[in-house]
Amino acid sequence: MDELELLENRLQRERLARKQAEALLEEKSETLYLLNQDLVKLAADLAEREEASRSILEATGDGIITLDESGRIDSFNRAAKGIFGYSQEQVVGQNIDKLFPMGITGEAFKNIPHMQDMERSGELHEATGRRADGSEFFMEISLSQGQLLQRRMIIVSVRDITQRKKAEEERKYMEIQLRQAQKLESIGQLAAGIAHEINTPIQFVGDNTRFLLDAFADIERLLSIYDQVLEAVRANEITEGLVTSVNSIANEIDLDYLRSEIPQAISQTLDGTDRVARIVRAMKEFSHPGDEAKSLIDINKAIQSTITVSRNEWKYDAELETDLDLTLPTVPCLASEFNQVILNIIVNAVHAIRDGKSDDSTAKGAILITTKQEGDWAKISIRDSGSGIPEAIRSKIFDPFFTTKGVGKGTGQGLAIAYSAIVDKHAGTIDVQSEVGVGTTFTIKLPMQG
Amino acid sequence: MKTRILFVDDEPGILDGLRRLLRSYRNEWEMSFASSGQEALAIVAEQSIDAVVTDMRMPGMDGSQLLNELARCHPEIVRFVLSGYSDDEMIIKSVGTAHQYLSKPCDSDLLKAALSRALSLRKLLHEERLLALVSGVSSLPSLPEVYLEILETLRSDGASLRKVGETISRDPAITAKVLQLVNSAFFGLGRKISNPADAASLLGLDVLKTLALSAGVFSQFDQNKISTSDFSLAQVFDHCIAVGLLGKRIAASEEAESNLVSECLLAGTLHDLGKLIIVNEYPEEYARMRLMAKGEGMSEYLAEKEILGATHAEVAAYLLGLWGFTDSVVEAVAYHHQPGLSSYAEFTPLTAVHVANALEGAAQANERTAPCAGLDMSYLEASGLADRLESWGRLRESARDSRK
Repeated sequence: MDELELLENRLQRERLARKQAEALLEEKSETLYLLNQDLVKLAADLAEREEASRSILEATGDGIITLDESGRIDSFNRAAKGIFGYSQEQVVGQNIDKLFPMGITGEAFKNIPHMQDMERSGELHEATGRRADGSEFFMEISLSQGQLLQRRMIIVSVRDITQRKKAEEERKYMEIQLRQAQKLESIGQLAAGIAHEINTPIQFVGDNTRFLLDAFADIERLLSIYDQVLEAVRANEITEGLVTSVNSIANEIDLDYLRSEIPQAISQTLDGTDRVARIVRAMKEFSHPGDEAKSLIDINKAIQSTITVSRNEWKYDAELETDLDLTLPTVPCLASEFNQVILNIIVNAVHAIRDGKSDDSTAKGAILITTKQEGDWAKISIRDSGSGIPEAIRSKIFDPFFTTKGVGKGTGQGLAIAYSAIVDKHAGTIDVQSEVGVGTTFTIKLPMQG
Repeated sequence: MKTRILFVDDEPGILDGLRRLLRSYRNEWEMSFASSGQEALAIVAEQSIDAVVTDMRMPGMDGSQLLNELARCHPEIVRFVLSGYSDDEMIIKSVGTAHQYLSKPCDSDLLKAALSRALSLRKLLHEERLLALVSGVSSLPSLPEVYLEILETLRSDGASLRKVGETISRDPAITAKVLQLVNSAFFGLGRKISNPADAASLLGLDVLKTLALSAGVFSQFDQNKISTSDFSLAQVFDHCIAVGLLGKRIAASEEAESNLVSECLLAGTLHDLGKLIIVNEYPEEYARMRLMAKGEGMSEYLAEKEILGATHAEVAAYLLGLWGFTDSVVEAVAYHHQPGLSSYAEFTPLTAVHVANALEGAAQANERTAPCAGLDMSYLEASGLADRLESWGRLRESARDSRK
């Protein structure tokens, strides 16, 4: 029994052990199965993810090129093919320099940070690219780097910005055109006024000169009789008759009138030619064609010239006074831009005065232009007694195309141009204070040191 | 009595210059000077003034306001503009009320001549009320159809100036106004334009459009205004145009210079404008005049003289003279019924208009009157042109045949 019992126990134990082993095996193989399942799934995931990355890479509008450390092209996405016109086979393994006329290490890339400089990686830079057909184009480029199997990988992302550049240039061109148009508009308007300003003195200079011609013919008659008198005196044969005819000719030609009138005619004629000369000079000073760099300008003189050329614009509606600080030093300035600003503000002031005037009123408005030095600034203010600018639109007056004038009465560019000329080009300031029904004051400040 | 002229300008230099310049006229002219529109009106209210010469742009009351006021209160005054402005807007503003425009700088001889001429025209009309009436006329009545056609042409896309010119030439009233404007010194032409086609192309579509739409520049005839059914504006215009065309043919057959030929056409086209003024302003007298002419078997122009104190020819001539038309056109219109009053013996537009008018009139009246009853044979004989009459008559026949 003992032996049997022993055997029995052993059998029992072995059976148990085997059961346990079987259970373990089952457990292990299940684990293995699950692990395998995970692995399959992972592989599928990975494949899917790679596929996704690839399609993102292919689908993106930006050209993406990867390089090895030596600058050889590893990959070249579809957008890059489209941008450069090369196929993958044509460029893979080639140096990246092939795609840039100046080389990636060349001039165009000077500003691009060193590739080690991870801090700045991804920054956008503008560069010139070269297509397969040799044509060059503007692009935006950014560089970054990554790690691939212990190797450093450089990722170049490029975008063709030819269209954007073109649009930008067109916009710039449009802006210049528009500015030119506004200038031409004001010059056209000025020209009609200047013609009138010149025609007026020309008319009376002509009339006076014609009068002097006639008057001299009259005086000539008197002179010839004086000659006779002189001869008679020399010959001591002066007669009563001769004296009478001197008197009668003097009466006929109205000598007293001529004597008082001729000097006036001459002085008005001189005044007329002075006026023409002054206008012509002011026109020259006003227009200052093509000065692209700032020069030191006598602001007071520039203002005077602008007042002279625009006289016809304001003289019917306003008295224009100036209070100029004659000690004001010269200011670095683009003269024609500055003059244009003053002109635009004067013209606006006149329009405001007209707007503010009741129809039957014949009273003129007032414009006051003052200059003075304030610290390092030259301050110019232009005050009018016009209708004023309503609070609601005060913030818009410097916006391009904003105008309260009717169609055909202005491009809405006047004050926008003034703003850009003063603020952008001279680093100055332009401000407006206005009270409806009372008037408006524009204050311009220009830095004395350019 | 001296002629009184008032000069208005806000620039004292101009007034001083004019005063001195025109001093040699001091025995014929009495000149006053005003430095503003208000001052001018004050002077006109106090003294009687024959002519005003004003600047356009002045502070306060400007030239066109002054002219409007003068045309309203003192229509008999001759109204001239002397301005340094040459923009279209200014011209159009005053086109209704200014008789003539002179631009600064203006040649002194031109100024003197234009003034003397306008003032000497007054002898054409003796009656004060007629002077006032005619110089107050700013526009002449047109045929509504023609006016509308001009408007339509101007509004259409791709309007052609030639088409507009052709349409204008079918209306003597619009022709006169457009030529007045184009010949004004503002347009700076050294020569006188005498046909509407040239005028249209010189003015351009924009100015024509503005003109056509400006109140008071063209006006339309209102047939209701006149009670007599005897008057038809269309008939008067047809006659005017026929006389113009025949006058042109006659001049061409005399191998006249092209300038003279076109003046003959123009003078013929405008010769009866006086009838429009009379019918428009004095419809009752016009009806009375027609009755008198019929009843007593006298010619209409004599009846006009009887009733109004002036003939339609004199009335039109005065207006055209004020508007700056050339002397030969004014004379042709003034004397088209009485060419013997002219001092010229050679072939002039007067000859052409007189003959063409008589031939057209006789043809219209058919056999009722003796052919060529209106012809002044002694004038033609004195001019040595009487023997040409037969061939001119044939021109009319052939013109009528070709119209058929």
